[in-house]
Amino acid sequence: MANNREVLLDVRNLEVSFGSRSKRFVAVKNANFQIYKGETFGLVGESGSGKTTIGRAIMRINPTSGGDIIYKGRKINGKIDKELDQKVIKEIQMIFQDPQASLNERAKVDYIVSEGLLNVNKKLSKEEVTQKVHQALREVGLLPEFASRFPHEFSGGQKQRIGIARALIMEPEFIIADEPISALDVSVRAQVLNLMRELQKKRDITYLFIAHDLSVMRYITDRIAVIHKGDIVEMGNTEDVITNPIHPYTKALLSAIPMPDPAYEKKKELIVFNPLYLDYEKNPPSWTEVEQGHFILANQIDLKEWL
Amino acid sequence: MEQNVILSVKNLHLDFNLRGRKLHALRGVDLDVYEGEALAIVGESGSGKSVFTKCFMGLTDKNGTISEGSIMYNGLDLSKLTKEKDWLSIRGGEIAMIMQDPMTSLNPLKTIGAQIAEAVALHQGLKGAELREKAMQYIRDVGITEPERRYRQYPHEFSGGMRQRVVIAIALACNPKILICDEPTTALDVTIQAQILQLIKDMKEKYNLTTIFITHDLGVVANIADRVAVMYAGDVIEIGTAEDIFYDAKHPYTWALLSSLPQVGVKGEDLYTIQGTAPNLFKEVCGDAFAPRNPHALKIDFVKRPPYFEVSPTHKAKTWLLDPRAPKADPPAILEKIRSGGLVNGK
Repeated sequence: MANNREVLLDVRNLEVSFGSRSKRFVAVKNANFQIYKGETFGLVGESGSGKTTIGRAIMRINPTSGGDIIYKGRKINGKIDKELDQKVIKEIQMIFQDPQASLNERAKVDYIVSEGLLNVNKKLSKEEVTQKVHQALREVGLLPEFASRFPHEFSGGQKQRIGIARALIMEPEFIIADEPISALDVSVRAQVLNLMRELQKKRDITYLFIAHDLSVMRYITDRIAVIHKGDIVEMGNTEDVITNPIHPYTKALLSAIPMPDPAYEKKKELIVFNPLYLDYEKNPPSWTEVEQGHFILANQIDLKEWL
Repeated sequence: MEQNVILSVKNLHLDFNLRGRKLHALRGVDLDVYEGEALAIVGESGSGKSVFTKCFMGLTDKNGTISEGSIMYNGLDLSKLTKEKDWLSIRGGEIAMIMQDPMTSLNPLKTIGAQIAEAVALHQGLKGAELREKAMQYIRDVGITEPERRYRQYPHEFSGGMRQRVVIAIALACNPKILICDEPTTALDVTIQAQILQLIKDMKEKYNLTTIFITHDLGVVANIADRVAVMYAGDVIEIGTAEDIFYDAKHPYTWALLSSLPQVGVKGEDLYTIQGTAPNLFKEVCGDAFAPRNPHALKIDFVKRPPYFEVSPTHKAKTWLLDPRAPKADPPAILEKIRSGGLVNGK
C-alpha cells in the first residue's frame, strides 16, 4: 500500500559531520528514509543520537557531508539555486522544542509570526500581513488581540502555539517538529498534540516528528525510525515497531518508557542495550526488511539470533 | 500495617507577597509522610508541589511566609524556624534535596570529588584519607565507574545522567533521613531516566531513606511511588497508595490527568484535554478550586470547599462527588483500561 503513495521527502545515504579533518565527528551516518505525503514520520532516539541533526540538515541549517536529500524530486542539500532555496524556506518549516528560547523576547507576537512571511514575500501590504497574522493566530487557538503582546505574557502552551503559528503562516507543506512537547506540562501536551493533528487534517501537512518519548510517538506517528549514535537501526510502521521490536536498542528504549500502571512498573525488568555486544568489525550490518515495510540494521549473525 | 509518621504537615498556608499583592500558594495542606515510604507528589506546574517541599527545608523565597499551620518533624515545628542557623541542622543532615537540573546544582569550579567530600566532611566530620575513602565509596555507590579518575574530574566532563548521579551522591553524603527529589529526571533521556529511578530506589533501600518524589510524569510515579499525593491549586486533593490512585481514582482532576496522557491515547482520536486554566491564586478561591474546569461539577462545588472523604483507610479525596448525597459520576473508561493492564499490552 505504501509504495504507491507520493514520496515527499527522500533521504538517501545522508551523512552529516562536524569539525575539520583531524577532529571530524560524524553525527549521522548513512541515513536512508522516505517520508510520504500527508503522513507523520517519527525520529526517535536519545540525546546525541543525531535525530535533531537530521532535521536541521533537511532545513538546510546544518550542511551535509554526503548523500542526497530529495524534496519533491529535487535535490535540496548542498548548493542550490536561489529560486529553489526560497521555495524550500517557504514550504518546509520547523517547530522548536523550547518555546521560551525560540521566541524573540523583545519582539511582539505580531512581528515574530510575520517575520518569515516578510522575508519571502516583500510585496505584501501591511493590511494583508496583519490579516494573515490574525488568521494564523486564530488557527492555533489564540486570539488576534494577542498580536500586540510580548512572549513573556504567555504560558508555555500558548508560547508553543505562537511557535506553531509562525510556521503555519508560511503555508508549509512539510513541518519538522523537534521535540515540540517535551518542555510542556502534561495537560498542555495533549492540547498541542491535538492541535498538530487537527492542522494536519485540515491542511494536509506532512510532519517529521522528532522526540525521545516513544509513548508520544505511538500516539502521533504513522511510521517511525529509531536512531542510535547516528545510525538508523529500525524503521517501520509505528505499531509494528512498538508491538514487535526486533533490534535490541528498540527493545531497550521501549522497556524504559514509564507506563502509568504501578503493577506493571513494579515488576518490569529494564532491558539495557550494550552497543559493544554488536560486533560489526568483520561482518558489517546491512538494511534488511523483516516484514513488509519493517526494516532493521543487522548482519547475518544478528538476524539469526533476533528472528 | 503500622507505620511511623516521620513528617506531619497540618493545615499549612503559605503566602507570597508580590508587589503588595498576596499570592496564596498553599491553601491548608494536610499530609503525613511515613517513615521509609516512597511518596510521590504530582501536579501541573504552578500547583505548588515544589514550593510545598521547599517549606520543609526553609528554602522558600524571602517574600514567602507561612501564615498558618505546622510542619512537625521529630518533635520540632519546622514552620516556626526562622534563623538560618536553626535550618543548618535540618538541611542536608535530616532532609536533603535533589534538584531538577544537574547542570545548575553542581559547582563548575570544583572537582566532583571535592564537592562530595565537602558534604561528607560537614555532615560526618571525617578528615584526610578517611574522608577521601568515604567520598570514593559514595561515588562507587551511585554507579560511577572508574572512581579514582572521576574523583578528580569537573562537572563539565560528565554527561547529564552522570551529573545527576553525582548530585545523588552529594545528597547521600549528608546522611539524610528524608530525600526530596524534585523532578530529578525531567532533563534526562528515557533510558537514563529509568537508570536514575532505579538508582534512587536502590539507594533508598541501602540507606533506609524516606523519599518524597515531585514530578508531573504519571509514568514515573507508577514506577517509583508507594503512595501518591495529587496537588491542585495549592492543595492535596487526593491521596492514596499508587494502586488507589491509578486503578481507583476518585477526584475528577485525577481522572483528567490520567486521561490526558499520550500513553493512553488512541491513534486517530483526540486526546482528552482539561478545559480552562488553573485558578488565579491571587484571588480567594471559592469552593472546589477545580470546579470551573470540572465536567462533573456539582452546585455545591462552587460554593463550599469539600473536606476529605475517606474511600478506604489509605485513600482519601477532596471532592463532593464522594458525599453520600451526591449523584453518581462514572469514572472515565481509562481507569478500567489501566486496571486491566490494557495499556501495557494494548496490541
